[in-house]
Amino acid sequence: MHTSVDSSDGDLARAVAARQHDDAGAAENELYRRFAPRVRLYGLRHLRDEDAALDLVQQVMLVTIEKLRSGSVREVDQIASFVLGVSRTMVKDQKRLEWRREKLRETFMLPDIVAAPAGDAALDVDRLELCLGRLAERERIVVLLTFYAERTAGDVAKELGIKEGNVRVIRHRAVERLRTCMTSAEATPS
Amino acid sequence: MTACQSPISDGTLLDYWARDLSDDDETTRVEEHLFACGDCSARLHEMASLGAGLTTLVRQGRVSGIVSRALLNRMQRDGLHVRMYSLTPGETVPCSVFPGDDLVVTALRADFSAVESVSLSVMGPGDSPFSRIENVPLSKPDDELFWAMPAAVVRQMPSMRLELTLVSADATRAELGRYVLEHSASTPPG
Repeated sequence: MHTSVDSSDGDLARAVAARQHDDAGAAENELYRRFAPRVRLYGLRHLRDEDAALDLVQQVMLVTIEKLRSGSVREVDQIASFVLGVSRTMVKDQKRLEWRREKLRETFMLPDIVAAPAGDAALDVDRLELCLGRLAERERIVVLLTFYAERTAGDVAKELGIKEGNVRVIRHRAVERLRTCMTSAEATPS
Repeated sequence: MTACQSPISDGTLLDYWARDLSDDDETTRVEEHLFACGDCSARLHEMASLGAGLTTLVRQGRVSGIVSRALLNRMQRDGLHVRMYSLTPGETVPCSVFPGDDLVVTALRADFSAVESVSLSVMGPGDSPFSRIENVPLSKPDDELFWAMPAAVVRQMPSMRLELTLVSADATRAELGRYVLEHSASTPPG
């Protein structure tokens, strides 16, 4: 059993469940590497908070590994659905009450797999500032309202007195222009 | 891992992130795909990173141009120190930037009832162009337009007179107001 990046999610989950010493450790790490960023994004999307999203990653991945180890995951080939299900449940729980993260950490602390996934530290904000300045005025306002003020297209449409469909078009175009600008050598700040 | 056979479109990813998908079923479908697909998850991560970068820029007061009232409210709620100057047409107002300020915002009042969007030109000493902003959508029924500059930029400016002119962005270019800012350079500490 190889736990390289070429293994399927199901193969990795099976290796963890089988608890074969060498393979299981590597498989756990690869599962973490693969799913932690996805859980983080899910957390950011639903909780809108980086710290809460990182806490969610730890909790979800710990539960996932524990369930795999104990043989409680019945369909290991559907491990992605399992991780999504755990993520959903935990986000719901978190929204309902202050959750028990300290207890979980103390109980299931696994140093090999609790390192935080890569965040957004690599983004060059100086370049982004330059790129933002190159957008048309309404594109700039729309992306800031969307990403910073967390407004939906409907909210932005009301705010700016334009149609919701137009907001989506402007938003899409603005994100594309930012992406292109971020990867263009021309935008390098002097 | 194999490449994604049915990638989610950029528009759908953006709608998902902005909570603009049409219904819960579509959200569920997108999330199931994202948890099972590294490629699409990575594309969402790139988009989310852009959003995080934009948020960082705003929180550092690195925003220039027109900002909406909702954006301004959110900035103030997030603890940004906004120095605000409010001008009515024909008015001249002395202004400066002070220690601790993050953003300097000029609120330009005018009668916007007959226009959909406006353009702003700012002239510096000797009629030199300082800034020009075209085709800004208006938030109805607001009677103010907010022009923002990073305090860090204003701190570098010498004392000068800035003349601002607001016109409608349509073919008539009808003048809506002229304003003057008498800027005093900030005194360096010590």
